[in-house]
This record gives sequence, C-alpha cells and structure tokens, in this order.
Amino acid sequence: MILEAAAISKSYGSLPVLKEVSLGLERGEICGLIGPNGAGKSTLFRIVLGLVRSDSGQVYLDSQARKPLGGIIEKPALYGYLSAVENLRVFARVQGMRLSRPEARDLLEQVGLPIDRHDPVRNYSMGMKQRLGLAIALLNAPGCLVLDEPFTGLDPIGIRDLRELVRQLAVERQIGILISSHNLSELGDLCDRLYVLHKGEIRHSGPTREILRRATLKYQLYGRGFLGSPTLSEAGEPLSDTSALISPGPHSIESLLARVAAEPGVGLSACIPQLDLALLLEKQPV
Amino acid sequence: MRNLLSTELFRIFRQRKTYYAIIAVFILEAIIMISAYMQGREILDLFLENLTDTFEFNGNLLNGNLIVYLVLNSFWFHIPLILMVVVSGFLTSEYQDRTVEAVLLQPVSKLKFIGAKYMAALLFTAFMLALLIVTTFLFAYLVFGDGDLVVYLEGLSFFEPHEAFSRLVWAFASGSGTMLFYAVVSLTLAVLLREATATWIVAALFLLVTTLLLRFDFGSEGLNTYFFPKLTDTWQALFYVEVPWDAILTKSLVLLGYSALAALLGIAVFIKRDIT
Repeated sequence: MILEAAAISKSYGSLPVLKEVSLGLERGEICGLIGPNGAGKSTLFRIVLGLVRSDSGQVYLDSQARKPLGGIIEKPALYGYLSAVENLRVFARVQGMRLSRPEARDLLEQVGLPIDRHDPVRNYSMGMKQRLGLAIALLNAPGCLVLDEPFTGLDPIGIRDLRELVRQLAVERQIGILISSHNLSELGDLCDRLYVLHKGEIRHSGPTREILRRATLKYQLYGRGFLGSPTLSEAGEPLSDTSALISPGPHSIESLLARVAAEPGVGLSACIPQLDLALLLEKQPV
Repeated sequence: MRNLLSTELFRIFRQRKTYYAIIAVFILEAIIMISAYMQGREILDLFLENLTDTFEFNGNLLNGNLIVYLVLNSFWFHIPLILMVVVSGFLTSEYQDRTVEAVLLQPVSKLKFIGAKYMAALLFTAFMLALLIVTTFLFAYLVFGDGDLVVYLEGLSFFEPHEAFSRLVWAFASGSGTMLFYAVVSLTLAVLLREATATWIVAALFLLVTTLLLRFDFGSEGLNTYFFPKLTDTWQALFYVEVPWDAILTKSLVLLGYSALAALLGIAVFIKRDIT
C-alpha cells in the first residue's frame, strides 16, 4: 500500500473525534471516504496530511519522494491576489522547485485551466480554483493525493469535470487518490473502494459496488406503460405511467428489470438507484 | 528558508495593503511637516518667549532638524501602530485565507515557515524605516533648510547643525530597534490569536499599555531600568547634552533579548499547535 493509516484516534478535549480508524490506499486506486458532516473526515485527512497530530495510531507512506502526499482540505486555499501562474510558482518555490513560466502553463493545461488568463485567481470560479488547487497538489509529483470534499460548491458540470480529472490522474499517472464526501452519489461511480465513517468510526468498507448495494433499497425507474405493469405493481407504487419508485425486495434488481422489460407495452429508459447514506451509518451489519 | 523568505517578500509587495501602509507613513510624515510649517513658528515663539529677553538667537529654529525631530516623535505611537497592523496581517491573512494550511501541505517544515515570517517581518520593518528616514531627512532639509536643533528634555538643549544631524541619525537607529521589537511582538500576537481583528485590538492595547508603563514607577531599580516598556524610549537619550552611550547600548541589547524571546515564544507555539 502506498498509504496506510493504522488505528488513528483523536479527541478534542473530552470529545472523541476519531476512534481507532484504519484505512489503506494502493497505487492507482481511488478510495472514497464517505460520512455525514461531523463524522471526522476532515480531521482524519488533516492527520494523514500531517497538519494535525493524532493521539494514537500511525500513518505509513510507502514513498521516498520529497513530497509523498499532495492534498486539498475542503476548499482550495490560494493567494487570491496572484494569478494562477504566480500561485503555482510561489507554491513551487516554497518547496524548493524552480518552475518556469512555460512549465507552469503546462501544468495549468494538464488540469484544464486556461493559460491566457493573467488576472488574480480571486476572480476564478470554484471549479477553476479546485483545478488550480489540484495543480498545486500535483507539484513535485506526489504518489498519492488526499482530497477532502473537493466537490463542495461545484455545479453538476464542475463535478463531472473534476471526477473525470481525478479518474485520469489515477489511471494515467498511477496516483493513489483518497477522496471524501458526504454525498454518496458523488463518489459512487468514481471510487474503487469506499470507507464509511460515522461518529469517528469506520462503519463499513469494501468495493464500491458492495457498499452501493447495501445503501440502495429503492430504484427510480423512467419509461412508459408503467400503470399496466403487474411486476411494478408488486415491487412498488407506480407514480405515473412514466415513472415509478420500486423496492426489489428479495429479488435482484437485474431480474426485476428483465421481467419489466419483457412485459408487453412497457418500455424502460432509465433506472436510478436511490442511495441512502443513513442505511450505511447504522452500526449493525446490513 | 531562502526560498520561503523570497516568496514572502514577493507576496508582501504584491498586496495592496502594503502600499496602503507606505502611503499611511507618508501621510503621517506630510501632516507633521505641514502642521510644523503652518504653526511651528507660533509654537516656537511661545516656547522661547522667556528666553528671548536674555538670549539672542541667530538663524531659523524652525528648520529641517527640528522637523526631523518632530517626525522622530511619531515613534511613540503612530509608526509602531501602523507597523503592528501590517506585520500581524502577514500571518492573520494567511490564517483567514487558509494558505498557511496550503503551504504546509507542501514539503515545508513549520519551523522554516514561521522563521521566514519573522525574517520577512524584520526586513519589511527595516524597509519601512529606511523609507521614512530617507524621505524625512530629504524633505525636511529641502523645505525647511538646515539650522540649530532646539530640544526640550529636562530643560532646553541646543545642538549645532552637524551635531544635530548626527544625533538624529543615531536616534533613528536606536528607535528602529524599538520598532523591530514591536514588529516581532505583533507577529507573535498573530501566532497566538490567529484572527486579524483580535490581533489588531490586542496589538493596539499592547502599544498603549507599554506607552503608559513607560512613565510608571515600579519602585524597583531593576524593573525601572530593564522591564521592556522602559526600553522603548532609549532613542530619547540621544538628545541629552551628555549622551549616555553605555546605557543606550545596554538597553538596546536587552530590548533585542526581549525581541528574541517574543519570537521564540511565537515559533514554539506555532510549531506545537495543530493547523486546523
């Protein structure tokens, strides 16, 4: 593993924030940490990134690089009065790198930022700031990235673009990426594995598809002819002829969809899992 | 450390507030000169009224040396206040924008980061003082010309032009030590408080209390001589007829020690504290 956190505990005064939390990350893997606000995600990431000391536990990094870890905590913190190139050069210089202007522009291009803007980054949109934050995190080629709530404040297009960029970094550069969110749908189709953190404890962990299956009891279907479907009548309450909310119950969603699709006069156009984070936060096995 | 320091200085001079501070110093300087030009003659006449019956004064006493001395008196409160506000902002703005966190996410040690901040604070203060001193002498001599310096310290003292110039230069040098002390203290307050408004209020309070304690009798020779508020007016001793060089040197070194202590406190707290 390129990154391993073992039995991390942290309290603020008498309030325990993390209780023996362990997680790991492989090269080229995207790992999600999901949990509601106040679960301890940011504290865990701050400990992993060395900003906060844990009360007990260890963080292991399998890297001899000068900068083994890059990261963004919550919103990217930038010097608002400097341009993007100047920000990159300042952050490079503080870690002893000499980044020429053409090199800085290359980095901006890699994260999909325009190279012809010279105005202060305080004028940038949140999506552009996130991209610049990523470019800064990537300075000195770290083996893994830790991104805390990187989708906060982004519009749907911004979220899609950032997800694409993160996936590209993992696949093309084999960077291990640990990413957190309180929104399961943001991480669902991005991460290889998920950890569920609640009240300072890891409640569940495993491959994303397993976690998503546990968190999904209902599906929203879109199509036509739903009112005359006997299968849908059994599995849920048709809302209208074109949409329905169903619970597969003991059946798998695959078999249920196959049965619906085979019914005469019924057509399916979309099936959207209704993810329920609260289900994952329960302590007993689900 | 050199890389951190150079980026600090680059960023300081890319921020608008730095230029506001420079403009504020110039405005202060201009107000002192204009008020001296408008009212200086009347004040001097009032000041010397009783002496003109006994002595005959040659030349103009409202001259460049007196103006420089009046600007020097802004070292009591105005200049340190501006410096403390600006210097503490070097760190509080980084806390506010969370760039402290962003820098420390890079392979940068906390010691080097905060060390570079103190170095930048000292260099910036030295730059501001150099700017103030050069422009004050330049404009004062250009507008008001040369002449004898009259100073009232436990009685009236008169210094011939070359003597006055030398004493004023040394007084600025000594006063600069006090300004560096205030700059270091303000950065330490920023480390402790982290929030800009709270730091400004405490810095202004520190300055006020220090100025008040300067005149306070602690009833102890040691405290009255070496407690830090008693060391902030050492530059005044340059205008006694006999300059107490040994005392000035000792007091300057003790104040340097206080500055080092304040910096060490800030560095220790910054290193120990989590970045949250």
